[in-house]
Amino acid sequence: MRYRTLLKKIASLFLLLLLLAGCASGASPAGGVSPSPAELRGTELFAMDTYMELKGYGASDALLEAAADRIRALEDALSTTREESEISRLNRDGETNVSEETYRILTRSLELCRETGGALDITVYPVVRAWGFTTQSYRVPERGEIAALLETVDYRGIARDDSTRAVSLPESAEIDLGAVTKGYVVDVLRSLFEEAGVHDALFNLGGNVLTMGTKPDGSLWHVGIQDPQGGLLGTVEITDKALITSGGYERYFEDEDGNVYWHIMDPQTGYPADGGLLSVTVMGDEGIRCDALSTALFIMGTEGAEAFWRNHKDFDMLLVTSDGRLLLTPDAAAVFTPDEACPYETAVIEP
Amino acid sequence: MIKTRTWIIILAAAALIAAAGTFFTLRPRGEAKLVEVVQDGTVLREIDLSSVTREYSFEVVWTDGGTNVVTVRPGAICVSAADCPDKVCVHHGWLTDQSAPIVCLPHRLVIRAKGDTSLDTVSQ
Amino acid sequence: MALLTAIALIIFIVEAQIPAPVPIPGIKLGLANIITVYAMFRLGPKDTAAILLCRIFLGSVFSGQMTTFFYSLGGGLLAYLAMLALRRVLTEKQLWVCGAIAAVCHNIGQMAVAILIFRTFELIVYLPVLCLSGLVTGVFTGLCAQFLLGRLKH
Repeated sequence: MRYRTLLKKIASLFLLLLLLAGCASGASPAGGVSPSPAELRGTELFAMDTYMELKGYGASDALLEAAADRIRALEDALSTTREESEISRLNRDGETNVSEETYRILTRSLELCRETGGALDITVYPVVRAWGFTTQSYRVPERGEIAALLETVDYRGIARDDSTRAVSLPESAEIDLGAVTKGYVVDVLRSLFEEAGVHDALFNLGGNVLTMGTKPDGSLWHVGIQDPQGGLLGTVEITDKALITSGGYERYFEDEDGNVYWHIMDPQTGYPADGGLLSVTVMGDEGIRCDALSTALFIMGTEGAEAFWRNHKDFDMLLVTSDGRLLLTPDAAAVFTPDEACPYETAVIEP
Repeated sequence: MIKTRTWIIILAAAALIAAAGTFFTLRPRGEAKLVEVVQDGTVLREIDLSSVTREYSFEVVWTDGGTNVVTVRPGAICVSAADCPDKVCVHHGWLTDQSAPIVCLPHRLVIRAKGDTSLDTVSQ
Repeated sequence: MALLTAIALIIFIVEAQIPAPVPIPGIKLGLANIITVYAMFRLGPKDTAAILLCRIFLGSVFSGQMTTFFYSLGGGLLAYLAMLALRRVLTEKQLWVCGAIAAVCHNIGQMAVAILIFRTFELIVYLPVLCLSGLVTGVFTGLCAQFLLGRLKH
């Protein structure tokens, strides 16, 4: 081969590689050089009173930053522990106009309160506060105090105006969107990541999990579910689903006699929910709904949860009962693998 | 000038040594249970629970003076005492496997299992 | 010489898309060394140094990761020194030896830098496997350089 011909071949190869390199190093909409799509990149942060992990295949630093900022912005708008949040203002003044996003979240929450027959009730906040869960100075309130507070607990009393986004609460009523916010956030993150072109990702916001797509080898995400009494119940292999667990074991206190009081309050009684469940895990397509249902079903108790599922069937769940059973819906059972040390008697809920 | 054949021998020997080294360093060592103690994103310690022979404790102090006492025993780790108001971390009990990490929010402390790739995350 | 630098850069960037063999982000296989070995034997130490430094600098700019720059620098330096020594001892048919030894030195250099950056000596556990892969890919890159040298020697 002559020098010149070889040089020409090298030059054309060079141009080809240049083209390839240009495509490969990619200019992503989020700015900067995007990482290789096979690389799992993530971030972790403390927000909304919990520890959060976000990771996605091919997620750029810009995307992760944007996600973290979004989370903090939502916290600023919705948190009852932030004095300047829209919700705090609403609780303080009794009525106010809220932003579009807050209004949407509120509207959806009320729909979910209705759908669960009031088991989820965002106006139960004053009761939760009376028990000391908001300040960590725990106490068991007097019956009379609870009865008085229950007068204000009724989500149906909230008035809204769609055109002005004005919201008004009845006298002394206060709301807290804590039971649905993280579920809403995973939905937001899903859109954010999809728009950025990241289709395979996993978020865990203090136990609120959302999975997207698959791992590069095509396998599904393995998500563990915690046993309320310690250790793991088992694993589910899923994708494109939200998976949210609620249970009294997450936050509770004990009095001197050893009685356990947890933070999930029954809006009917004003006492910690007593339906015979230790934890509820809900799997579905909409994060905010799964979050709401995990709390509501816990409050409804075993039979209530089973009945609710039979009437709707558009989600899946796992229930751990206080009498040692693990109940699963048929589709949940299909993807669930129990841990070796799982101590519960497993049963599938009849449709 | 060193003969090509000599080079082949030298490099082949080097390759053999490297291969042996690889075997010894990277072979899967049954049940190595790694956990990390992380505070505010910084990994304070990494502990292999399977090589712990006796129980010991150490204290982790946060910038505001808040403390958590971490206790390690063969195969398990926990927060045995803490001066945070909630004590969620203490309630968590012993961490022995891939289950949900022990978290102390006020002190930004996370203790989690590491290295096992069978689980991507845990819903708690 | 500019052409060689450009080719080395392209190879470097394309190689960056290949996932790392070990869990240390930024560690590279070292295929761009084909150019370095070739240059060392064809153009001499000074030109090779220039090409190498250009490629390292531009390569890390393109890859967007600061750590890549330091790995390449550490690895490149050690490999360069090795090649400098071997230049006098090897014939043109033995470039594959140069490739292999330079690659191993490159990896040792990268490892040293990684340990310094992350302050974890434990990373050294990956040295044997890196040396092994270095030997193998080094023979390959050295052979490529050897082939190039033979073909372009008119």
